[in-house]
Amino acid sequence: MQGASERSTEVDLIRAAQRGDSEAFEQLVRSYDHNVLRMAFNLLHSEEDARDVYQEAFLRVYRNLPKFRFDCAFSTWLYRIVANLCLDQIRKRKVRKEEAVAVQTGSGEVDRLQFVAEQRADVDPQRQFLSGEVNSRIHKILDQLTPRERVVFEMRHFQGMRLRSIGAALGVTEEAAKNCLFRATQKMRAALGDFV
Amino acid sequence: MNCHIAQANLSPYLYGELDFAGEEDLEQHLNGCAFCQRALDSEKAWHTALNAERRDVPLDLLARCRQDLRSALSSEVKWTAVRPWWKRPSWKRWFDELNFSSHRWSWQIAMASFLVFVGFAFARWVDRNGLPGGVEPDGVSVMSMLNPGSRIRDIQPDDAGNVRITLEQVRQGEVTGSVADENVRRLLLAATRESVDPGIRVYSVEILTSQGGDDVRDALLNSVLHDPNAAVRLKAIEGLQRFAADANSRSVLRYVLEHDNNPGVRSQAIEILAPRQGPVTLTPELASTLQDVVRSADNDDYVRTRCLELLREINVPVDVY
Repeated sequence: MQGASERSTEVDLIRAAQRGDSEAFEQLVRSYDHNVLRMAFNLLHSEEDARDVYQEAFLRVYRNLPKFRFDCAFSTWLYRIVANLCLDQIRKRKVRKEEAVAVQTGSGEVDRLQFVAEQRADVDPQRQFLSGEVNSRIHKILDQLTPRERVVFEMRHFQGMRLRSIGAALGVTEEAAKNCLFRATQKMRAALGDFV
Repeated sequence: MNCHIAQANLSPYLYGELDFAGEEDLEQHLNGCAFCQRALDSEKAWHTALNAERRDVPLDLLARCRQDLRSALSSEVKWTAVRPWWKRPSWKRWFDELNFSSHRWSWQIAMASFLVFVGFAFARWVDRNGLPGGVEPDGVSVMSMLNPGSRIRDIQPDDAGNVRITLEQVRQGEVTGSVADENVRRLLLAATRESVDPGIRVYSVEILTSQGGDDVRDALLNSVLHDPNAAVRLKAIEGLQRFAADANSRSVLRYVLEHDNNPGVRSQAIEILAPRQGPVTLTPELASTLQDVVRSADNDDYVRTRCLELLREINVPVDVY
């Protein structure tokens, strides 16, 4: 939740960016880009696709920022763009049936850090088994959620967004977002509830 | 409230999406219903499991995305610069409407006069203020870029072995050169300490690891001890491999092995202090650290197991040295 001063700073940044201040635009991007990338990366399970969504989302923001009239929060507008891009990507994959189960990782040095936890699991066979089993179940059940359920669950559970904001971002009512979340959590509970 | 409604409200309850009355009703029901209480515990458990399996974005991916976006935005700016007249700013339209002259020669005279004026004005300005600051071969100006108001915005190694460092202050500058170049090296060393962006700190540490020298070693030790980001610390520890025989480095590595809160960093520290491949020199100080690690209850299994192996190799009991 943003404080009043943060909101006013953000409004100032948006107005400056609307006047063509590239520094202000970059600050705006940096306020949200880690979360945007995290959301795309975890929804799409692909570095390349997440990278595409990141770029397309912020380019759309850049092109349309002069038309932004503060009818909704900037974050709501941004997440609407990101959610729609992710939904399009997931739907395309469902059609092409080419979604990979495993997360693709780059060969860069920093990526190895992602495996620190797994390295710890490697030395403890029981933990390795549990970690692998939970991971496999999570991937399986996430794959079974509808694209919209996945996006709503991601926004609520991982991004910590309120249902009202999620509804606004997806262009549906808060109640519809809540129902969507309920369906998603029911499926997650059924798949993981007995295991944990 | 019955069990059906209570269970439907468990997730909204954990997410804090119920209103005050809803929370009260649910909590009252949970107090009297062991079945729903177990369901809530289970719900909490799979939330935790889900969070534990969550992968964060690789730092270099974020850096690459930012770089891509910056390039794409600069193309956008170039594109908008050649947009048609009806989209130009109003002052340009006003200028167009003046219809200054359709004769080519009149433009040429106007432009020539303008350039002469600019030349005179610039010469007078340089006469008074000297040449504007920037990248100069002696390196003094380069370092003056790192004043308190500046920050290192990007570091980009290229295939030719050069490094491009983008600094940000009132205006932006670029320094390109080999890693061995003194200016580049000093900026990289400064970036390990001063950049607020962990991605840039990782890059600078990574590039410096190919270099020797006391200044590089000190920068790596500083990152290992003080950087708040585990990725940077881990990268710096990898860089200390080449300084593994150095007494200062070994002392810092022993400290890290005992005190760093990240298991990956601790594991890397022990790998350098006592590599699995090759001979291991177990000094009294290292043996004492190994004992302390084994005795501490909160270390992870891998580090403890490795410490025990090493202690057994030199027949040292855990409790006595």
